[in-house]
Amino acid sequence: MSFLEILAALGRGVGNTALVTLACATTGMAVGLAIASLRRTGPRALTPLLDAYVYVFRGVPLLVLLFLVYFGLPSLGLKVPPLLAMVLSLGLIAGAYLAEVFRGALDLVDPSEILAAKAMGMRPIQIFTLLELPQMLRFALPGIINEFTTILKYSPFAYTVGIPEITKEAMTLAATTLRGLEIYLAVGVLYFALYRLFLLGLHRVERHFRIPGIVPP
Amino acid sequence: MALIEIRDLVKEYDGRQVLAGVNLDLCEGDLKVVMGPSGCGKTTLLRCLNRLVDPTSGSIRVRGEEVTRPGVDVRALRQSIGFVFQQFALYRHLTVLDNVTLGLRKLRGMGPAQAHEKAAYELSRLDMAAHHDKYPAQISGGQKQRVASARALAMDPTVIVFDEPTSALDPIMSREVASMIERLNADRVTMLCVTHDLQLARHLPDRIVYLEQGRVRAEGSFADLAQDCPDAQVRTFFQHAGATA
Repeated sequence: MSFLEILAALGRGVGNTALVTLACATTGMAVGLAIASLRRTGPRALTPLLDAYVYVFRGVPLLVLLFLVYFGLPSLGLKVPPLLAMVLSLGLIAGAYLAEVFRGALDLVDPSEILAAKAMGMRPIQIFTLLELPQMLRFALPGIINEFTTILKYSPFAYTVGIPEITKEAMTLAATTLRGLEIYLAVGVLYFALYRLFLLGLHRVERHFRIPGIVPP
Repeated sequence: MALIEIRDLVKEYDGRQVLAGVNLDLCEGDLKVVMGPSGCGKTTLLRCLNRLVDPTSGSIRVRGEEVTRPGVDVRALRQSIGFVFQQFALYRHLTVLDNVTLGLRKLRGMGPAQAHEKAAYELSRLDMAAHHDKYPAQISGGQKQRVASARALAMDPTVIVFDEPTSALDPIMSREVASMIERLNADRVTMLCVTHDLQLARHLPDRIVYLEQGRVRAEGSFADLAQDCPDAQVRTFFQHAGATA
């Protein structure tokens, strides 16, 4: 079995790796944005709850949460499909990290712009959606790219709940061929290729939305 | 009747009076310049006008309607008072044109074409039409101040207030802003301008209000205050200003 044949065999898992990564990244973005916007425009009473969410989900190891969702919830009568288990663990943890990235990025929005918008008579929700959000996303882009890369690197945990992604395919192949060195080297190459592809797409987005004077730190 | 009447306006922060009973009238088409030492309450006075700061007591009437009473529509009040800030406060992610159209579309409910037309008119009035597609980072400080003024003017406010409009600018750009304010004054735009800039105060034609320790200590033209003011301290301030300006 040549190295290219190994790559082709592992290629079957690429789709699932991409699916897990995209599903978790989308969930993470949605949760992170929801927390950032609620912190800014929601009732103050929610803030301790949001802070607690971020604190807990940043502190719990991914595998513990994944097993809790996938193996623990069925004992309460809730059977969670593997992809949903990944979303409810890796996606929600990514959401907590992204919420912090967005919090930092929001602090970079010039307070005088917010004051000017208030002085114009804008509502808090208008100030957030029209002024803070577009700038925050630009400032947060390096942090978003970083978090998406982390999600891709944590996606192999999906094999523990039976999703046949790249690592799972590699384990099966290594068990039958006993050529672990080449196989796991090929796994590394595939992850790196996926990472480059991801990065390329995100940098294209960054270039498209780049504005003079708004430079991420 | 004055367009804006401020009566016995008091603002306290932690028991410290920043405004200690300010009385001020501003009539349609007036330009008044508020001067005074740092910490005398100039910026607080402006911010009370559109309720960015709530006064402790006293009243402000705009076109006869008291705007300091509880239950007043603060957002509507703010839309009727154009505010131009010291640091320009342009929205960095929007072009010059979009900075001006944003309020028209989102607060006045204008369609894109109508907002574009209105914004283009205000920008050309202040000689900024050629820069409409630039971002704030691509224009000079004086140009930023003109865009900020066009943004305020586009909303057709009752009055425009300038908070230290030249303090972040070099002398050449300051002159640019002074001539812009003069032009607006000639167009009978009602304005209240807070400044430390003696050059600016000296070249603006209308009245100067001298604020000290939260009170109006004197009011008159630059020449009146420098020569005929009965208060020697005010006279000295403006004579010194006249000598250095």
